[in-house]
Amino acid sequence: MTTTLDAPAEAPVRNAKARKRFGFHGLMMTPGMVLLALLSVIPLVTIIATSFSRVHLLGGVVFDNVGLTYWARLFGDLDLWVQWLRTIAFFVLTVGLEMVLGLGFALCLWKLVRARNLLLTLFLLPMFVAPVIVGLLGRFLTDSTFGLYTWLLGLVGYHGDILGGGTSAFLAVVAMDVWEWTPLITLVVLAGLTAVPQSIREAAALDGANGWQSFRHVLLPSISGVLLVALLIRSMDAIRYFDIISVTTNGGPADATKTVPIRLYETAFRFFDLGYAAVIGLVMLVVTILIARAFVRVLDRKGLTR
Amino acid sequence: MTSAIDRTPLRARLGVRAVVIVGLLWTLVPLVWMVASSFKTDVDVTAAEPEFLFQPTLENYRSLFTGANNLGPYIWHSVLASGISSVLAVAIGALAGYGLAGTRMRAKKHVAFWIISTRMAPIAVVVLPLFLLFRGANLIDSIPGLILAYLTFNLPFAIWLMSAFFAEVPPSVEESALVAGCTRWQAFWHVVLPLTKSGLVTTFVLCLVFSWNDYAFALVFSGPHSQTLPIAADQLVTQTGIDWGQLTAIGTIVVLPMIVAGLAVRRWLVTGLTLGAVTGE
Repeated sequence: MTTTLDAPAEAPVRNAKARKRFGFHGLMMTPGMVLLALLSVIPLVTIIATSFSRVHLLGGVVFDNVGLTYWARLFGDLDLWVQWLRTIAFFVLTVGLEMVLGLGFALCLWKLVRARNLLLTLFLLPMFVAPVIVGLLGRFLTDSTFGLYTWLLGLVGYHGDILGGGTSAFLAVVAMDVWEWTPLITLVVLAGLTAVPQSIREAAALDGANGWQSFRHVLLPSISGVLLVALLIRSMDAIRYFDIISVTTNGGPADATKTVPIRLYETAFRFFDLGYAAVIGLVMLVVTILIARAFVRVLDRKGLTR
Repeated sequence: MTSAIDRTPLRARLGVRAVVIVGLLWTLVPLVWMVASSFKTDVDVTAAEPEFLFQPTLENYRSLFTGANNLGPYIWHSVLASGISSVLAVAIGALAGYGLAGTRMRAKKHVAFWIISTRMAPIAVVVLPLFLLFRGANLIDSIPGLILAYLTFNLPFAIWLMSAFFAEVPPSVEESALVAGCTRWQAFWHVVLPLTKSGLVTTFVLCLVFSWNDYAFALVFSGPHSQTLPIAADQLVTQTGIDWGQLTAIGTIVVLPMIVAGLAVRRWLVTGLTLGAVTGE
């Protein structure tokens, strides 16, 4: 066992070593894999079974096979398709705003060299706030009689009941998610920007690139990978966004904020229509897996899943 | 930092400052207002004109810990459920993460994808079958039930993140430990694991934040014997009328420890929150 172990000439030795290593690493993975399988495969099988069954909850849990009944309902359920469109609108709006604002704040913080660390720390605070508190705080700030933001909007001439109107309620829950998660994008993009070598930027400046040109042709390409990762991370969270809407409007007023997760929750735990809820859930799962695939492909390109 | 490119014109510099100030106001005003309101009397909290100057009082906090809605048990449930779940996730996740980072098995890619996809599964999709399973297994309204539920998102996160931290440890470190006569386990325990100490702490803190902040799982699975702080906050709303003074006080209690914990691992946040896909500053 010397340092020549990895030399190509000793390939057989290396193979033996690889086999041994596989064994130990496999062993280390076992507890985690077994537990994760219990926590994910069993629920997956259960939800698939549920989608074909009428479930009775009284006197234990009893599954009654009803075949494709619930799946057939999916296609005639216009409400659900509207809720999907709303989810997508919500998704595009929140993630879009978060990306633009996050990039903007990151670029500004990046320019402020000396105060950067302190300011970034302050910018990060919303990320650690429990979403349910974000929602309740949002309700407090937009309360129609004493909300601080209601009062501020009153000063500039807006007097509507923010969470009481359809469009304004939708925009309000969007704003709450944007408030909470823009900091994540700022953090990630700033990390990307600080990793851009000074020399490249200097070269661009010497070549006579103006601010916009060096942003567009030097900075943006070098942080595009980071931006993509940030985008995907927000995407998988935004599609399952539940807490804030649940505690602010709970889907209302007049369904203006009823997204698919809210609908699923209501179908399952308010109407106990568990079979149909399982169908809605499985469709959501397929969408998420597509996003997860994209995420892993990006990681792959960065060599992380080697 | 006075190279050619950093000498921006004055107007641009003012623009940058303006954006940062607006951004800070947007970020901080809700939090400052929450904390300020928690020290206000009922009359001050619900005043039609916002009160910026007021006589601070601890009344809201006092009434949270005395009387009908005593917060003590909720805090205890939150600490137990999220604490134990995070410890388990980090312990098991470190082993599996080490295995995943080092393994050369052919199905590695598929295993890795499977792990990450369980983390990304929509909460509602996980909650529904778990509800049925927990009901069958008598785990509804119990702390072990919550711990298991939190593991569904904490464990895959911990495995993936720890494997990113282990991947940063150069293989030569472990190899020289083996050459020096360590067993594989000794090399892992005494040499490799200590090198990922920051990874362990970061993973633990982020798991803690996720489970401490959870609302959806606790809403479905918890009952009188296991309700957590986010549920306590929400319940304050459904009672007749909302006591906003107490609510902002609960909010402050829920938020403060996580902000402290989160900022403590700030250096590794980028790595943590992007599951290692972007390495921090």
